[in-house]
Amino acid sequence: MSLVSAPLEPIRPDFLTRVTPAARLMAGMTWLVASIVTLDPVVPIRLIVAALIALVLWSGLPLRRIPRRLAPLGIAILSLTAFSILLSGSNADRSLTALIAFGPVRITAPAVSAGLAIGLRVVVIGLTTLLVFGPSDPTRMADSLVQQWHVPDRFAYGTLAALRVAPFMAGDWAMVAAARRLRGVGSGGVAGRIRDAGDRLLVILVSAIRRAERLALAMDARGFDSGIRRSHFRELRVGWRDWLTIAVALAVAVASLALPR
Amino acid sequence: MTPPAIEATGLGWTYAARPRAALEGLTFRLEPGRVLLVLGPSGSGKSTLARALAGLVPHTLAGSWQGSLRIGELEVATTPARFLGERVGLVFQDPDSQLVMSRVDDEVAFGLENRGWPRFEMAARVPEALAQAGLAGFGLRATNTLSGGERQRLAVADVLAARPSLLVFDEPTANLDPPGMYDTLEQIAALARRREHTIVLIEHRLEAALPLADDVLLLDDAGRQLAFAPAESVGRDAVALLERCGAWVPRAWQGAGPEVKAAAAGAGTSPTLGTGILARVAGVGVDYPADGSGAGPALDGVSLDARAGERIAIVGPNGAGKSTLLFVIAGLRRPDRGTVGLRSIPRDGDPAEELADPSRLRPGEVAERIGLVFQDPELGFVARTARDEVTATERATRARRHEIDAGPPGAEGTLARFGLGHLEDQDPFRLSQGEQRRLSLAALALRPPAVLLLDEPTFGLDRRGTESVMSLLDELKATGQAQLLATHDPRLLPRCDRVVALGGGRVVFDGPPESFLANPPYSPPQPWRDGTAIEEAAR
Repeated sequence: MSLVSAPLEPIRPDFLTRVTPAARLMAGMTWLVASIVTLDPVVPIRLIVAALIALVLWSGLPLRRIPRRLAPLGIAILSLTAFSILLSGSNADRSLTALIAFGPVRITAPAVSAGLAIGLRVVVIGLTTLLVFGPSDPTRMADSLVQQWHVPDRFAYGTLAALRVAPFMAGDWAMVAAARRLRGVGSGGVAGRIRDAGDRLLVILVSAIRRAERLALAMDARGFDSGIRRSHFRELRVGWRDWLTIAVALAVAVASLALPR
Repeated sequence: MTPPAIEATGLGWTYAARPRAALEGLTFRLEPGRVLLVLGPSGSGKSTLARALAGLVPHTLAGSWQGSLRIGELEVATTPARFLGERVGLVFQDPDSQLVMSRVDDEVAFGLENRGWPRFEMAARVPEALAQAGLAGFGLRATNTLSGGERQRLAVADVLAARPSLLVFDEPTANLDPPGMYDTLEQIAALARRREHTIVLIEHRLEAALPLADDVLLLDDAGRQLAFAPAESVGRDAVALLERCGAWVPRAWQGAGPEVKAAAAGAGTSPTLGTGILARVAGVGVDYPADGSGAGPALDGVSLDARAGERIAIVGPNGAGKSTLLFVIAGLRRPDRGTVGLRSIPRDGDPAEELADPSRLRPGEVAERIGLVFQDPELGFVARTARDEVTATERATRARRHEIDAGPPGAEGTLARFGLGHLEDQDPFRLSQGEQRRLSLAALALRPPAVLLLDEPTFGLDRRGTESVMSLLDELKATGQAQLLATHDPRLLPRCDRVVALGGGRVVFDGPPESFLANPPYSPPQPWRDGTAIEEAAR
């Protein structure tokens, strides 16, 4: 979520910032597809290498801030990998030698390989998202989807407006927690905590709906979706860079699948 | 002959599923280029009138329409919203919920794109509209880096861009700090002077708004028209009528009015309560503000004692650290330097207890020592009915101490005292803004905390709502409670015992309200400062 709603601003225009967002999205899709069609961990490794090269050479993004931005994803990657390894079915296969055997826990080589494959795919998804959404702001993405793919205005700009207010919800969540602590309400225990989280969620949903209603009214007051064909302040031109990007991305995706190990 | 800018004849509107009308029988006529000031208490249908002028009522919102409303030669009820949109620009109260785009120039272009303007015209018009709104050169800025006043200017640029003939401002200063408020009022004044637009202004800061107005429309609390008159005719003799409209009557008109008397009664520490310190803030520094925005320390070497029965106003522009300070005192944010200590109100004969670090207290102990009323009361609600809201802390405390049979917690009396007796089974989220604010105070009344923190307690309330909140605070204060109010509202200062002004995270003033008001760190532009403008308007 934070990858999209709070984009890293490109510090200098570069090749990928001049590619239309829709073309970047298309290019990114080829990598996502390539990374999920096989369980072989070599494929995501090749894609990660390609993504890192593209980030450094053509994205224009501030490289030093990328690791911190991807940190939340790191936690997801580690836990996904660990659980996939621990819970893999091949651990139960007694014909395979265990790499680690500790009481009831057995971990086999295929389990490690499958777990890594899953973790590495999430890395591919994270880096690809950064390459697709990072080089221009979300408004350009919405413009591009509407102009090139004819996504309905209501959907594209509605989502955009929702992204702009999303950070407020994080603030609301903290406020609600604070209010409950100060009022001395909130119960201990697992069941109590789940109930508390439900109550908090209800409050922020109500507040989010109020905010959305006000914003929708403001958008309507400015003639949004009033039956006139919308024009565009910024025109996005499809050019050779778009086709080149898609072609190179597709070639990398195919190569990562087809090249011998 | 040109038609009038606005002509209402028996205009009425009832929202779908509401028992009573929001507006009823409005009949008035406004000539082009004039400025109309609309006054009325909360719930008088002012915002509904603004929505009707922009065509949101009846085209976007559901309900039933009566009578006629014409903008120029267009009848609102039968004209498609897109034609009205070209004539009317509506600026809302809250700049945060009317900005759609993340970059300034995209934001201004949004309304033009919706109306299908050709690109080359937009390219010329966007910088022009920004310049007209005093934001020349802001085009590439991110909207979330603008101050409150700048954001409201941007909202004005948005509506100016489409060259409407009618501008409607729906309480445009209600959500702004004083610098933003004066900035916005100056901008409206400049637009009014140019006479290029017809302007409808909904604003209850009479001393600022009346000098701008040519005509005044007064509404009562049921959305009925009390009067429509030229602004010159509204003067001292109309005070009773204005007060019925929830307007803040200028002090120059009311002599020793009720507000002044109440201030005298509310101030001063009660001698029987002694001067025990209930909250101590010592050398507190916080490196980043709570919302993660801005550079520089949020708080820097702030020290402050709050004594029993003392009411302290915390003032300062947005970003000065007011909210961060309240959060630190409540123990919701640990300071990077310095300490915070809290204790409960000493009972007779008990030795004073130690000052305790709020972030280390157990939930039950926190609720006894400190309470926080949020700017948005909804975020603080913890129950599904008003009755449960009031008893929530009591019930949680009893459950923790395993007191099963301690009798009814007595919510009814408390709700009645706060004027909410008839609403005990209501969902807190369904109450009006004023009722929600009273409920958030009632929720702290059954077990009043020793220290009460309030973030903008009168934000968005009209005079009547403010009076009722302040008199409830007076009651709580009389029990020995220490109160800290973060506020932008200078009208509350005479009702406080002390003013602490923050600037850039430091205490820049700490003293009695009289000396603060005599020499405030930020001051309104000349005509509004001393009430001369309103005296001229009245002449």
